[in-house]
Amino acid sequence: MRSFMHNMRGASVFPILLTVAGATALFLLPNFVESTYALHIMILIFISVIMGTGWNILGGYTGQYSVGHAAYFGIGAYTTLILMQYHQVAPWYGVWAGVVVAVAIALVVGSICFRLRGPYFVLASIAVAEIFRVTALNLRLTNGAEGILITDIPPFKIGNAVVTDFMSKVPFYYIGLVILIFAIIVTWMVQNSKLGYYFQAIREDQDAAHSLGINLTTYKNAALAISVVFTSMAGSLYGLYVGFIDPSTVLALDLSVHIVMICIIGGIGTIWGPAIGAVILVPFSEALRSNMIAQALIDSGIISENSRIGAFLKDQLSHAHVLIYGILLVIVILYMPDGILGFARKLLAKRRKEAA
Amino acid sequence: MAILEIKHVSKFFGGLAANSNVSFEMAQGMIMGLIGPNGAGKTTLFNCITGYYPPSQGDVIFDGHRMNGLHPDAVCKLGMARTWQKVRPLAKMSVVDNVMVGALCRTNSLKVAREMAIERIKIVGLENRAKVLAGSLPIGERKKLEVARVLATQPKLLLLDEVMGGLNPTESEEIIQLILDIKEIGITQMVIEHDMKAIMRISDRIVVLSSGEKLAEGNPQEIVSNKAVVDAYLGGD
Ligand SMILES: Nc1ncnc2c1ncn2[C@@H]1O[C@H](COP(=O)(O)OP(=O)(O)OP(=O)(O)O)[C@@H](O)[C@H]1O
Ligand SMILES: [Mg+2]
Repeated sequence: MRSFMHNMRGASVFPILLTVAGATALFLLPNFVESTYALHIMILIFISVIMGTGWNILGGYTGQYSVGHAAYFGIGAYTTLILMQYHQVAPWYGVWAGVVVAVAIALVVGSICFRLRGPYFVLASIAVAEIFRVTALNLRLTNGAEGILITDIPPFKIGNAVVTDFMSKVPFYYIGLVILIFAIIVTWMVQNSKLGYYFQAIREDQDAAHSLGINLTTYKNAALAISVVFTSMAGSLYGLYVGFIDPSTVLALDLSVHIVMICIIGGIGTIWGPAIGAVILVPFSEALRSNMIAQALIDSGIISENSRIGAFLKDQLSHAHVLIYGILLVIVILYMPDGILGFARKLLAKRRKEAA
Repeated sequence: MAILEIKHVSKFFGGLAANSNVSFEMAQGMIMGLIGPNGAGKTTLFNCITGYYPPSQGDVIFDGHRMNGLHPDAVCKLGMARTWQKVRPLAKMSVVDNVMVGALCRTNSLKVAREMAIERIKIVGLENRAKVLAGSLPIGERKKLEVARVLATQPKLLLLDEVMGGLNPTESEEIIQLILDIKEIGITQMVIEHDMKAIMRISDRIVVLSSGEKLAEGNPQEIVSNKAVVDAYLGGD
């Protein structure tokens, strides 16, 4: 019995039940939620969870802090949208084409950048992403700074039956949810396999890992490939959902930082960290951007609209989300180095110890 | 036949010859002691042998394979494993998981790796620390973890770099017993150690390095009565 429990480590029944219940609730949610804004936020959260979960394989498990993952998000988005808009390739093929292109490019980049370690790798990953951004700005194929605006997404048919015509937000919600669940399952499988052990060994000490028979280049590239599959899919989904992409949104350094932040805030190297990070960060940054926070402060009477502070906040707070990201990041790193999930686990363990 | 042949190995760092023209052989099943004052080039020789970096000159032949240019992972797969003088625990992984990483060199199954790991953990006597994070172990147990982890890679030849360094006498004695147990299993070992009493007790033969060069080689009695060695250790100050 003991050895049975031991083998089922990380897979005890309660978390599985909880996960299934959560997934079911998410599947039913659009039936009860009327607000398109709520669905919109949910879709943005799903996209962030997908890309965060992707980054987490490389950054969280393998310890290779890429701050250039916007490159693969953008490559996925551009590939899918260009194929659809200019070559009439349906997006459910285009998404996979995006994955293939993004992974192929990632492996070339990886075989060069993975020679570098620590901060040098981080800088190289930023530089590479910037190269892609500038290239997209200047290429005819990507339509330069104007970006790509899509007209209609062709309806999705099985046989002759139209499954969806993509006129509402609901199909994007379900596609996002399915990819998200897929990403979580893949992470769980990685964590419970040789790959996961090797990834974590590389994160903890590359030289030790190398001397224990781990081919560093092979396994770093494997982590990168898995990571890029999801980052690219998130990009494609984003492009299709929003209907417009340009270098300053899908290839921006901002976005690369956002991906990393999601994971650091939630808890890197854990299955649920990116999900928790996205659930907190996405609504927060939306609220900042749409000036909701300043408005709420004024409405609640904490700050008067006519005061200088009130006017300043109303004008400027929406531009300050990067600054606030930075402050948040510093707080998390100082007080919760293992993210919110790590912090919660520590609290729980402490409670249990005190109870015992 | 020798399991390891080191032929005229030199390693230069800029103008410094950390190893110069070192040659010796090791027979299957023996314990070779490798001694020398600080900075003599002992760790450098381990690094050259295990592919951490290639020797500047010379050849290393292990079990019939010419090792030059092989990377550490390939060296490990061929059956040669080393511990680190400055221990390198995989800090945020548990003791079992650390040893499993070693075991996964020989299997793709986590289940098999876990069984292999638990066996090695028992050999070094860390069985009741199995679930503890490696980063929270005290130095004595970290050294044992290093040994368990390399044992799990199923080596033919084990290179131990100061596994007694920084340990108290009881712990050192445990490590000595451990090294002798490993010899019983039939694994050949090369052991770097500063503790002379310990090295004389466990070694079948000893190589002495000084300023990168091989100063002497012989069995323990020959080494203690070798004038050059005594001078290097006692006359140097
Ligand atoms: N990577 C390196 N770059 C430059 N010099 C080095 C490097 N590694 C070692 N050395 C130098 O080579 C010489 C031999 O060092 P090594 O670590 O091999 O000695 P050691 O015999 O293991 O000493 P100790 O007993 O202190 O561990 C020293 O002078 C050291 O400073
Ligand atoms: Mg040394």
